[in-house]
Amino acid sequence: MTLPGRWHLSHLSLYRRLMIWLLCPLAVLVAIMLLQAWFASREAADRAFDRLLDAASLSIAEQVRWQQNRLWMDLPPSALEMLATDASERVFYALYDAHGDFVTGNRSLPSLPASDSGQMSYGTVTSDGMAVRLGVLRSRLEGWDRSDRFEVRVAQTLEGREALANRLFLSSLINIVIIAVLAVAVVLLSARFALEPLTRLRRAIRQRNPRTLAPLELPLPRELAELRRALNELLARMRRVRANQERFIGDASHQLRTPLAGLSARAELALRQTDPADWHAALTTMHDTVTKTARLAGQLLSLTRLNNPEATPARAPLSLSALAQRVVRESYTRYHRRGVDLGVELPVDEVTVSATDWQLEEALNNLIENAANYGATQVTVRVDMAPPRLSVEDDGPGIPESQRLLVLRPFHRGEETGSGTGLGLAIVDSIARAHDIHLSLRDARPDHPARPGLCVELGFLDDSNWHTATLGTASARDEAECPEPDTEPAEDAQSTSAGATRRGGNDGQET
Amino acid sequence: MSMSRLFAIAGAGHVVRRWVVISLLTFAMPAGAATLHYAATTGAPQPLTLYGVLDPPQVEPLLDAFHRQHPDVALTYYNLDSMTLHQRVLAERESPRADVVLSPAMPWQYQLANEGLSSPVTSATTANWPRWARWRHELFGFTFEPIVMVYRRDLASRLAPPKSHAELLSLLEAHGHELDGRVVTYDPRRSGAGYTYAIEDARISARYWDLVEALGRSHAALETTTSAMLKGLSDGRYWIGYNLIGSYAQAYVETHPELAMVVPRDYALVLQRLALVSRNAPHPATARRFLDFLLSRSTQHLLAKQTTLGAVHPGIEGPGTAASLRERLGDAIRPVEIGPGLLATLDTLKRQTLLEQWQQAFDSDSPLPADDTDVVPSSTAITPRFPAVSAPSSEEPSAP
Repeated sequence: MTLPGRWHLSHLSLYRRLMIWLLCPLAVLVAIMLLQAWFASREAADRAFDRLLDAASLSIAEQVRWQQNRLWMDLPPSALEMLATDASERVFYALYDAHGDFVTGNRSLPSLPASDSGQMSYGTVTSDGMAVRLGVLRSRLEGWDRSDRFEVRVAQTLEGREALANRLFLSSLINIVIIAVLAVAVVLLSARFALEPLTRLRRAIRQRNPRTLAPLELPLPRELAELRRALNELLARMRRVRANQERFIGDASHQLRTPLAGLSARAELALRQTDPADWHAALTTMHDTVTKTARLAGQLLSLTRLNNPEATPARAPLSLSALAQRVVRESYTRYHRRGVDLGVELPVDEVTVSATDWQLEEALNNLIENAANYGATQVTVRVDMAPPRLSVEDDGPGIPESQRLLVLRPFHRGEETGSGTGLGLAIVDSIARAHDIHLSLRDARPDHPARPGLCVELGFLDDSNWHTATLGTASARDEAECPEPDTEPAEDAQSTSAGATRRGGNDGQET
Repeated sequence: MSMSRLFAIAGAGHVVRRWVVISLLTFAMPAGAATLHYAATTGAPQPLTLYGVLDPPQVEPLLDAFHRQHPDVALTYYNLDSMTLHQRVLAERESPRADVVLSPAMPWQYQLANEGLSSPVTSATTANWPRWARWRHELFGFTFEPIVMVYRRDLASRLAPPKSHAELLSLLEAHGHELDGRVVTYDPRRSGAGYTYAIEDARISARYWDLVEALGRSHAALETTTSAMLKGLSDGRYWIGYNLIGSYAQAYVETHPELAMVVPRDYALVLQRLALVSRNAPHPATARRFLDFLLSRSTQHLLAKQTTLGAVHPGIEGPGTAASLRERLGDAIRPVEIGPGLLATLDTLKRQTLLEQWQQAFDSDSPLPADDTDVVPSSTAITPRFPAVSAPSSEEPSAP
């Protein structure tokens, strides 16, 4: 497996997908929360400590007065002391007059642009190589005679607020980490829990006896119940396929054993004779039987070949008229000798379909043979144009409505008459499936209830909608390997209506 | 009025700095200064430079002990007066010569540290130093010196000697005439130390101003140094001295039996010498070793036993320690807080306000003639060039 292939999304395990889709957003969320907590803690610490600057500068401003023709201030030590918290910040203060001239203080401090809210403005500045938080209070003297403006500027170093911000952030960090850990734990647990039915299903499938095709019985959530149903449907189909195959093998063995037993008995009888004339008669009979058996074996072989889903013979454009003409011409004499009137009806124009030549020929031969075997005296091969259709009509006894599905099964034993192998219609059905041909059986002469006859139609799909038609019959093709179900006729009827309508009318096939 | 004019000139901070430069030219080496040098006796010499305001008799036991413990250090100690020390440190702020600066002028020392001219020292010793005696890890109070009263023993025969500020006030109020000119204290206008104590006194009690008025009424003498006061007391010129530095007074009283020292019972200010390691100190590692030494248990023990400076170390008890003083006086002990409140002390307008108030209180009874002669030159004549911003003067101990 190549690297890109391994990372392709469709190969990613469900668990990993869940993890990626849950944990990635969670990580992003946590990162955002941390970032937000960081800024929030800075802001909270600044707010708390700016209150100190506020209080200190107000307390200083209260002491500012006009004395000796100048701004005067009796600096309260408590104002400076309140600026130094547990972190022992360095403290600076200065008083400036209306002209921005230094009046008193322990350091020259810069001014700040006036803020929109309140008298105080705050800012972090660098003073003398030291980062300090500066608060500037704009005020004016309150007296009867003078109302000079002045500015009180106080500053403190940042140790205290940084310590507070870090403490606040640390507590948020702990909270966020706890939440994140819990969230991850919940995600892991819930993913495991949510995927647990999948594991159960896998285990149930793995623990099954490989030979059993019994349906899966275990409680599953809705999403997986659908999968289970699909699986059970597949299993059911496989069960039917296997049943059909077993029956087919059984039937085939039986069909082969009967002539072989006959051969054996005839040979034994002949061996007891001494007259070469008897031997000759026996050999003649045996030869007939062997020929018939060989034909049976050939048909079995072709049925098996047709039902092999691996082998899809190439199709080629094929003229239905030419095919019908050829088949009728080749076998006319043979059927004529048996008293069967074989005819062909063709449209004026050529009808061309895409099909495998030899398969269609075989289907046609089988249909004619089948009709002849079941007592028809008149068999007509007809080709229609739109839609392209090949049909074989006879005037035989027909097949009752209820039997029509069953006769498509190999070795169907309706009535033990006739001389066919019991495979003719099964082969036709297989060929029809392989070609996506719509196979339908109906009465040829509905106005003759005693001998309604049988009309087998092979309806070709138009070439123009070939592809959609192929897709549409996909479900029917699932069963292509199985000539005919018998266990669940109801389901079969469904698929028949979706794909091919197979009806047959016959009182049975020859043995 | 003349006073305040002068202060107004010295007011702004930038003026102060310019003056520092001038001071270096004019006060290159004050008279009281002395330099001690200890040569390294072993190994490669590790130089170390100290600036201090401690005269040889007090500092020698300390430096001897350091030399014994660290013989590889070549130590140079410059004894300066506190103002010179402050100006020198400011002048050398970019490339300091001193590794460690020791000074009792707490506001000035605090101002240096607040400006960031100190560097943090973190070691096991400094980390365990009591919080009230340090600021960050940059400023360490290593002595514990109460501000005391000293009186002559023969006073006791006539009057009850004061044991507290309140008693001193009532004594002055009751016997103002007898004590006229017999009480001595700091002149806060001319002495930085006196100013510092005045401001702290005023913060503690509003009755301080009554005391100043009473002092003014009895025409108290004003001196600028503790040693001058002690000398006057010993000579018999003064009977009672108020606000003397305990460490000097104690040493002096021990050799002068006619004097007695009282730590006021109602409250006693306590001065701490503050040590800091210079930012960009030329020998930072050795400076840290010195600081560790200074704050170590053994050195503090030595301070308690062999000097009158007092020990801060919480693990040491007995006479001459903060613990014993606290035990004796309890809550009355008021160490000057090492905090930004000290900066207010240095504010020029604050200083002017306080001194004017002090002057008013002191002169309330008998207006000084100086108030009438509102002429600037005359005031410069009585005040030396620097007192407007001066730090406390160097305190000389008594002669041994």
